[in-house]
Amino acid sequence: MFRLTPVRSGALGLLAALGLYAAFSAEYFGLEILTEIAILSMLVIALDMVAGFGGMVSLCHGALLGIGAYAYAGLTTMTGADPFLALLGAVVLTGIAGFLVGAVCAGSQGIYFIMVTLAFGQMAYAFFFESAAFGGDDGIAGVPRLDLSGLGVDLGDSRSFVLFCMILLALVTLFAAHILRSGLGRTLVGLKTNEQRMRALGVRSWRAKAYTFGISGMIAGLAGVLAAQHTMYISPGLLNWTVSGEALVVVILGGLGTLVGPLVGATAFVLIKHEVSALTPYWHLVTGVILIAVVMSGANGIFGFFEAQLERLRNRSKPAVEGKLKQGSVHDA
Amino acid sequence: MLEVKGLDKHFGAIHVTRNVSMKLERGERRVILGPNGAGKTTFFNQIVGEVAPDKGQIWLDGEEVTQLAVPDRALKGLSRSYQKNTLFDILTVGENLGIAASIHTHAARSPLRDPLRDRAVREIVAEVAHQVHLEPYLDAPVTDVSYGVRRQLEVGVALATRPKVILMDEPTSGIGPEMAHSFHRMLNELPRDLTLLIIEHDMDLAFDVADSITVLNYGEVVFDGTPEAARGSDLLKEIYLGSWEDA
Ligand SMILES: Nc1ncnc2c1ncn2[C@@H]1O[C@H](COP(=O)(O)OP(=O)(O)OP(=O)(O)O)[C@@H](O)[C@H]1O
Ligand SMILES: [Mg+2]
Repeated sequence: MFRLTPVRSGALGLLAALGLYAAFSAEYFGLEILTEIAILSMLVIALDMVAGFGGMVSLCHGALLGIGAYAYAGLTTMTGADPFLALLGAVVLTGIAGFLVGAVCAGSQGIYFIMVTLAFGQMAYAFFFESAAFGGDDGIAGVPRLDLSGLGVDLGDSRSFVLFCMILLALVTLFAAHILRSGLGRTLVGLKTNEQRMRALGVRSWRAKAYTFGISGMIAGLAGVLAAQHTMYISPGLLNWTVSGEALVVVILGGLGTLVGPLVGATAFVLIKHEVSALTPYWHLVTGVILIAVVMSGANGIFGFFEAQLERLRNRSKPAVEGKLKQGSVHDA
Repeated sequence: MLEVKGLDKHFGAIHVTRNVSMKLERGERRVILGPNGAGKTTFFNQIVGEVAPDKGQIWLDGEEVTQLAVPDRALKGLSRSYQKNTLFDILTVGENLGIAASIHTHAARSPLRDPLRDRAVREIVAEVAHQVHLEPYLDAPVTDVSYGVRRQLEVGVALATRPKVILMDEPTSGIGPEMAHSFHRMLNELPRDLTLLIIEHDMDLAFDVADSITVLNYGEVVFDGTPEAARGSDLLKEIYLGSWEDA
């Protein structure tokens, strides 16, 4: 379940403002970085839904993104489908793929869950790598962007494309927040907190897990469609398990189970990658050290750290009610 | 309403349930007594499906449920509370009741609507909060309320799925005899058609609520009868003064 606290709405507002400022002021290279941040954020929000809120650590989200990208690229370049319909088709397909992965994995816990998702991811990777129809190792080139000329928008323009990605990211964030406050989202968090009790109350746990994985898959698929449109070329590398691993690093870096954490984490990750890789080829070492520091600090990622500080400030100005509650019992009730 | 026939279970060398049979009529309040390790909790675990019996059958409201999974039995009207609090610690008292109520109304399945705003759910939460005296605490996080209140909530969550039968595993454990008596007065005010099977540790406390008493010892039913008969039983006195002492 997602709680929209004042700190979180403030953080979302701030990120949106910064994003818009950057989108209007940045030059070509800055816009590329911003697009990368927006697409990675979307993938990581999908991962946060299952991992942060549902406790299902997935190593196949890169593959879901890749399936979305391939579905979009395949439908547009091979069947000549309308890009908009191809986008919808890709999202539906990744939704189904996510649902199936969730349904199959629902019974596994911990490391076994991770391994089964990894196996799914590797199967998808191997399929596209070997498939001649999808260009095998070479991938697919000439992937078109959506045609929004009817709205007077040319997505071939970098600034328009980044704004398009950011609008979709905002919608996805709101959508995810809504889902997580729904019956499904609350059931998911109940299962993460106390699966035994949820089952004893009448919840068939695979159902909530599979549906959430399906919705998460749709979001990852949309991120894949955007990634394909962004570079206009895709290869099996998109489905590599390292993409899933990177998404996991980002969600832990930003903060799990907050929906804000993925945005913060993706921004930090992409900026570190570009800034540090300009100085040294060992930029992975730098992200590694930062990740270790964040985890060792005991905070829930970068956003979790600031959130905890701000909540402490807010609570200091509130009267204490705890003493009264602690006395309660059936005796005086 | 609930019938158990010839239930039998081994954990390795331990014969934890020995050919136990039991029948509860609708609205009956039966207390299970027995020393530590007598197999009381394991007996409950088999009824709800968390542990599979080696032998025997479980019938709920005229239907055999022995092969059903835990959630499916729950959806047929069987509910339980736990000896050790099994709550949603990150939520408030009201949200704990709401999550259980929304499972009953199926609002928990909706990917779009917030079940805690659902009218049917809110009605159940209000009613259960009244029944188990939780009204003052609904907005408090579970971690902020006292242990006694959490014991009330443990039973409240079990009530919020509107079950036909509730199994309560030592609902008064750890709250002291005086509060335990008030807890039982609270249970006695629950709707009379609700069937209750309650594990109690203390024989005196059992008399508060019991229409009938079953005593388990080493996994075996050693007594089954009315509270009056239990009071006069020499066998019970013996168990009570023997192994019971350290219970
Ligand atoms: N999952 C299990 N695996 C193996 N042995 C178990 C398991 N659960 C319970 N036991 C054993 O079965 C016996 C009965 O345990 P149970 O918890 O049912 O007793 P109880 O009557 O509820 O005791 P208490 O009054 O302490 O709650 C004990 O010896 C216990 O160690
Ligand atoms: Mg027990």
